[in-house]
Amino acid sequence: MRCAWLVAWREFVENVKTKGFWLGICLFPAILVFAGAVPLFLARKAVPTRHFVLVDFTGRYGSVIRGELALQRAEELGNALKTHARRGPYSEPFSYYIRTTDAKGVAWHGGELDLAAWKTAAGTNWLRVPGFTPPRPSLLEVSLPTELARIADPAELGRRLRPWFGGERTLPTADGKLFAAVVIPPGYGPGSTNAVEFWCGNQADTELRDLVQRRLGEEFRRSEYRRVGLDPAVVARIDALRAPVVALDPSKATGEERVGLPDLLRQWAPSFFVYLLWVAIFAVSQMLLNSVIEEKSNRIIEVLLSSVTPGELMMGKLAGIAAVGVVMMAAWIGSLVGAAFFQTAHVAGSLAPDSPMATLPADVLALVHTTWLLPAFAFYFAMGFLLYAGVFLTIGSLCNTLKEAQNFMGPLMLVLMVPLFLMPFIPRDPNGPIATFLSWIPWYTPFVMMNRITAHPPARDVVGTGLLLAGFTALVLWGCGRVFRMAILRTGQPPRLVELLRWLRGR
Amino acid sequence: MSSAVLELRGVTKLYDDFRAVDDLSLSVPAGCIYGFLGPNGAGKTTTIRMILGILKPTSGSISVLGAPSAMGVRARIGYLPEEKGLYKKMRAWSVIAYFGTLKGMGRAAAKRRAFELLERYGLKDFATARTEALSKGMGQKVQVLASIAHDPEFVILDEPFSGLDPVNQGVMEEIVMDLRRRGRTVLFSTHVMQHAERLCDRIVVIAKGRALFDGTVGAARRLIPRRVRLATADDPSPLRALPSVAALHAVGGGQWEVELREGTDPQAVLRACFETPVRLRSFDAAEPSLHDVFVKLVGSGAREASFR
Repeated sequence: MRCAWLVAWREFVENVKTKGFWLGICLFPAILVFAGAVPLFLARKAVPTRHFVLVDFTGRYGSVIRGELALQRAEELGNALKTHARRGPYSEPFSYYIRTTDAKGVAWHGGELDLAAWKTAAGTNWLRVPGFTPPRPSLLEVSLPTELARIADPAELGRRLRPWFGGERTLPTADGKLFAAVVIPPGYGPGSTNAVEFWCGNQADTELRDLVQRRLGEEFRRSEYRRVGLDPAVVARIDALRAPVVALDPSKATGEERVGLPDLLRQWAPSFFVYLLWVAIFAVSQMLLNSVIEEKSNRIIEVLLSSVTPGELMMGKLAGIAAVGVVMMAAWIGSLVGAAFFQTAHVAGSLAPDSPMATLPADVLALVHTTWLLPAFAFYFAMGFLLYAGVFLTIGSLCNTLKEAQNFMGPLMLVLMVPLFLMPFIPRDPNGPIATFLSWIPWYTPFVMMNRITAHPPARDVVGTGLLLAGFTALVLWGCGRVFRMAILRTGQPPRLVELLRWLRGR
Repeated sequence: MSSAVLELRGVTKLYDDFRAVDDLSLSVPAGCIYGFLGPNGAGKTTTIRMILGILKPTSGSISVLGAPSAMGVRARIGYLPEEKGLYKKMRAWSVIAYFGTLKGMGRAAAKRRAFELLERYGLKDFATARTEALSKGMGQKVQVLASIAHDPEFVILDEPFSGLDPVNQGVMEEIVMDLRRRGRTVLFSTHVMQHAERLCDRIVVIAKGRALFDGTVGAARRLIPRRVRLATADDPSPLRALPSVAALHAVGGGQWEVELREGTDPQAVLRACFETPVRLRSFDAAEPSLHDVFVKLVGSGAREASFR
């Protein structure tokens, strides 16, 4: 056992010292942060103010678009001011309009700004608040260059604007670029065959085009309502009607049946753990394969085998690499829990108390504490790891180079891919026939049972598949041990199937 | 403890129908340097792997340091395999210390010993270098040091000189001699006879898995008749009449080879040359080399094996 421990320790230390390990540790939280923060950051910072010209030959629809843009801008400024208000108390008179308690009288870190009251009180100076810098507008109309002001033909106007799009001519703005031109042709309106011309060098940026299309469409519908004698305000009210549906779970206690975020978490969290399990098995098994092939191709194996038995070597390797996997998992789960605590301590206070985000960390922690999620994860990780790692280790012992190993890896990777494809379906019917059937296939038991564990699967499934998995893993490891012992010193071509079977029979 | 560190009795190893080792018996006395000689494919490495317990013999028994399996006494054995390699990313000292700990040393003692050995054999400056940065010779030295870090009683070196330049071969010989000076038993395999001749107290010569000779280097030399090589323009036929001369062959170019009977003195031939007289241009009465013995023992078999 001492030798197995020494082999395990070396495997662990040598793998932990590699750049790949630290990259793996940091990559997962980094991806989480990037996936959440980068799109927001890009939306806020990376899109510059885009300047456009609006030419309305009808004299009717330009104001509609400008009104919509003004409304959008006012909303943008109002939201920015509300966010600013949550960050701390301000001197009079602004702070007067920040409510520091909610309806139940609970104090927040910041507060909710009564924007309407503040606007009324401050009038046109409503944005002049100490410390507040209004965000720059994402879209800003500029006047048509004077030499084009008299052009009456929309097509001609579009052609004459080309130098501004191409950069040969510049606008009197900071970047001088013309983003788009919206040209509303004469006679444009409901039933006309004319279309608004949207000239733009970047057709992938559809914000302005969508706004024009949406708002003008609304305007057309309103005028049509009026024409047929309907009040647009009534139509808007009718449109806003929603059919309320509340999801209730009969398995919950009376009064608490309403399905909320914690329930959704309970349903989907196992999927997250399945992904973790999959990534961990895949990552550490690769390490294992590399490690055996290194020892075999460098001929270190012979010296090792003069000091340790093949069984000790195999056990040490599995344990050492499993420890690497456990550290990786702990770091990933730790970073999630850390993020949850950070959220609780620093961010939640500035959220509205009824926001689902405010209770998310507590819900996540409660889920981990009160369900079998973590113990199940520990069990299925151990079993899944031993099962697949044993096979990877044996493949490594059969091959002299990674290239050779890849031939064997193909089928195994296909087997490993199946749980990934099934992941979205199992939580929808966790105790259905497909999930139950797959649970009894030991190769998939760790993934499928992990996915079912919070859905109260029958005890028969939990215990039965657990025992089957443990037995099957022991059997696979035993077979792997036999093959490993024979294959590890072999050089040249990998063995044929007949030879493998003979080794399994111990001959 | 028995005076024999290693004993093989009727050991055979079969791979399907191929006999890698065939009824091999040998005995390695304590404190000696034992040469394990044979051509390529003779079964040396297979025998060593069986001695170490890495492979199981098909039949026969092996006793190492009094134990029926080397695995039971592995902490008292050091081993350098024929094909050498190291963990590329590990540092020289840590490789030595790692193998030392696998052989039962404590971590601190193994580390201390690694630095001590690296200093003694001229690798002090490379102690903290990664092994991938070492030259082939240095890497091989590190591996030898790793195999003796735990100060084993019995050291098995499989082709320890292969791939080393003459200077490093000298260092390797020094390591082997050091081991003997400290009373350790060394078994090393080689097919370079000069090393065996310089270092070994006893040798076993195997070919096609069978032992052809087992004994001292002196006894091996006596396996072939002592020869005298002389050059003369005269006819040396009268020497045939001497009781010490078994045969006389012309080698060509005025050169002759005189085969002596066992236990006779070459001086008798020289004296007869003066008396006859046979006027000599040269007279060489060197003892037969181990190389001659080896070629005589395994000659055609070795050629077959190497092209098998």
